[in-house]
Amino acid sequence: MTEMIEITIDGKTVTVEKGTKILAAAKELGIEIPTLCYHEALPPDGNCRLCQVEVEERGKRKLAVACMYPVRGPMEVFTDTDRVMDARRSVIRLHLNRCPQATILQDLAREYGVEPLDERFVAEHDDLCIRCGRCVRACAALGNNCLSFAGRGWDRTIVPPFDEPPVGCLGCGACAEVCPTGAIKVREEGNIREIWGRKFRLVRCSSCGEYFATEEQLEKADTYGAEVSEICPRCRKRDEAKRIRNG
Amino acid sequence: MKLNSPQALDEYRNSLPPIGGGAPVRIRVCAGTGCLASGSQGVYDAFVAEAERHGLKIGVDFAAGTTGCHGFCENGPIVQIDPANIFYQHVTPDDVPEIFEKTIVGGEAVQRLLYRDAVTKQRCQSEEEIPFYAHQQRIVLQRTGHIDPTDINDYIREDGYAGLAKALTMKPKEVVDEVIASGLRGRGGGGFPTGVKWESARIVEAEHKYVVANGDEGDPGAFMNRSLMEGDPHSVIEGMIIGGWAVGAGSGQIYVREEYPLAVSNLRRAIEEARRLGLLGTDILGSGHDFDIEITRGGGAFVCGESTALMASIEGMPGVPRVKYIRSTEKGLWDAPAVLNNVETWSDIPRIILDGADWYAGIGTENNSGTKVFSLVGKIKNSGLVEVPLGTPLRRIIFDIGGGVMNNREFKAVQSGGPSGGCLPESKLDTPVDFDHLKEAGAMMGSGGLIVMDDHTCMVNVASYFIDFLVGECCGKCTPCREGLHAMQILLRGLTSGTAKPGDVALLKEIAEHVRDTSLCGLGQTSANPVLSTMEFFMEEYEEHEREGFCRAGVCSGLYAVAINPETCTGCGMCARVCPADAITGEKKQVHVVDQETCITCGSCVDACRFNAILIQRRKTDD
Repeated sequence: MTEMIEITIDGKTVTVEKGTKILAAAKELGIEIPTLCYHEALPPDGNCRLCQVEVEERGKRKLAVACMYPVRGPMEVFTDTDRVMDARRSVIRLHLNRCPQATILQDLAREYGVEPLDERFVAEHDDLCIRCGRCVRACAALGNNCLSFAGRGWDRTIVPPFDEPPVGCLGCGACAEVCPTGAIKVREEGNIREIWGRKFRLVRCSSCGEYFATEEQLEKADTYGAEVSEICPRCRKRDEAKRIRNG
Repeated sequence: MKLNSPQALDEYRNSLPPIGGGAPVRIRVCAGTGCLASGSQGVYDAFVAEAERHGLKIGVDFAAGTTGCHGFCENGPIVQIDPANIFYQHVTPDDVPEIFEKTIVGGEAVQRLLYRDAVTKQRCQSEEEIPFYAHQQRIVLQRTGHIDPTDINDYIREDGYAGLAKALTMKPKEVVDEVIASGLRGRGGGGFPTGVKWESARIVEAEHKYVVANGDEGDPGAFMNRSLMEGDPHSVIEGMIIGGWAVGAGSGQIYVREEYPLAVSNLRRAIEEARRLGLLGTDILGSGHDFDIEITRGGGAFVCGESTALMASIEGMPGVPRVKYIRSTEKGLWDAPAVLNNVETWSDIPRIILDGADWYAGIGTENNSGTKVFSLVGKIKNSGLVEVPLGTPLRRIIFDIGGGVMNNREFKAVQSGGPSGGCLPESKLDTPVDFDHLKEAGAMMGSGGLIVMDDHTCMVNVASYFIDFLVGECCGKCTPCREGLHAMQILLRGLTSGTAKPGDVALLKEIAEHVRDTSLCGLGQTSANPVLSTMEFFMEEYEEHEREGFCRAGVCSGLYAVAINPETCTGCGMCARVCPADAITGEKKQVHVVDQETCITCGSCVDACRFNAILIQRRKTDD
């Protein structure tokens, strides 16, 4: 049996399984904590540092990132103290130096009342990548592991192997889907999807006729031994629902 | 031959011939990296050649051996001669015939090669008479410089592996308790109680556990771990085998940075020799304990000294830290429990087991037992390796052991703990050097780097240097360290080039505090320390840089003017000779003059003047 632990977040109590992350526990209480690098379908990485909260545990109070901090025992969490707000504002401001044009950052800056630093700190005006690596984790989980961090420190970037159009890319677009800032560009025209400098042919759903996947995606699904049909997920769901209804 | 019991080890030790094979004279040539760089291999070769010329046989008539670092690197190459106990410094191959003639054949010392005490003006014949050594207490370094690190017999002769033999007769829990009782704290800088760490790994049940030695010393100016791995590799290995027994680990990893080739080769040889004698492998000394060690070479990234990044690197992944809410002793290397200690910590273990926790706890101060090795560098007379009991005041290390500031300039600050540490001013010189007092004073122990700075050091420039270093070493994973250090670098460059805007110092402080509070790993959290600690003690220098564009130390080019003090100038002409812009003129033995128009404020004259006659002044501005 899993151990259940009662904790307090902003004065409200909630009982969660041992090991639950603060972010998830807060969600149960309807307390919102802003995130950038976190995505619920992907393993957390704790790199953007936005989801700062204060944790008081065994008499010690400290800043922690909610997406990764596990509930291990009784603790009190504060999500809106001055210290927390200050830390989040600082993280937002630093992100803005890198990506002044990112809408999500501009919205956060408005919400938190962050004044961007002056022009001296902005290296490239059109850089949209905040180096959160959601795309890297998405490609590892769903795609073909075609993306990785390269370089270090300030020069850290996210690139396909050798910074060339990735040979193994399936064109599934999961990377672009999870990108919080829209840094990964996907273009679709007719039956062609263009991403990472490569073009992919799209397949029509044999039922509704809409484009729904790339040829490479279906081939890859085939290697999983999955039952591959040229029916889009929406139609498949509809058919399944019909089947259940008709017994 | 495998030693299959503690008795077999004792018998083996007793059967060894005395050090040097019983030859009447033994020559020890330092082959640490420092002395090798200043030519000690040539000195050793000259001894061998000279012996042949005299018709003497090595190993019979005299013994010549190379050892690890003697620690007095400033004065290398170092040669010591036993049993006369003579310490020669700055030895060149040309000196060797005279040493042979006078010392080896004649039995007397070559006076000019002896160390001369700056205060008493007396020559010191032995190591013990030299103040640099006299004020030290060497436990970790007891064998370094005395034994041949490539010969396991040298180590065994000096009670090597006796600590292991004793530990294997104890229960693992007893070994852990002994380490807890000794009060030993992590020598890598964190200062976490070693025994407590061991215990948390010991109680975890797991199929595999690991012990790991951190030899990824990356602080600028630090070389104590290197010297230890080069000069006494078996002490690290013995400590790890004991640790493996205590926590239930069957495998050890030594992580050494790529830039330490001699450390790698000496460790590798030591591991092979230990295996040959059955001190590594299965059923060590008949105890049933199986343990072996592998070496991993790091690529030289500073961040790989951080425990989680180090383990990622061993696993073959990029050396990037991970969020550490679950301790490595639960889930570390390859997700198995792992005990990571600095190589110096491992090296402390055998003596603690052999001589007991009480003996060790009796050295140093309360909560800070034992000794610590420091590399004392910078503007200091006696650069080198210094081992002192914890609690020794900084002043004693810098002035009694280090001999004070070079060229008799004024002391300004000492940087303790590497880039993550802090700079302490004159007023903190009586701080006892231990984990708690250094932290309280605004610095940290770190792995033991001490960089001494004189009055010709600009603290803003120092901060800028360390931030530049850290920008290059930042892994880039988390936002505050990646983006914050870059922003701090821009601000510091503005300050040191006179282009800062009003409010920049306050902004720098604000960003630095945020980087400290919100970064992911220990290195990120301490990466702002160069700025924060210099601000704490030298804030007025920051303000002068921002407000007036003035650098009082005369370091930041363009931010000061130089003039010559007519009272102290002797007209020696040294400043004029070094001036690359020909801006200084004057007759011999007459007061010299600087032409402000041609002066490029490079600071060469400040460094060159031996009479402190170069004055640093504010620039005259037209407006």
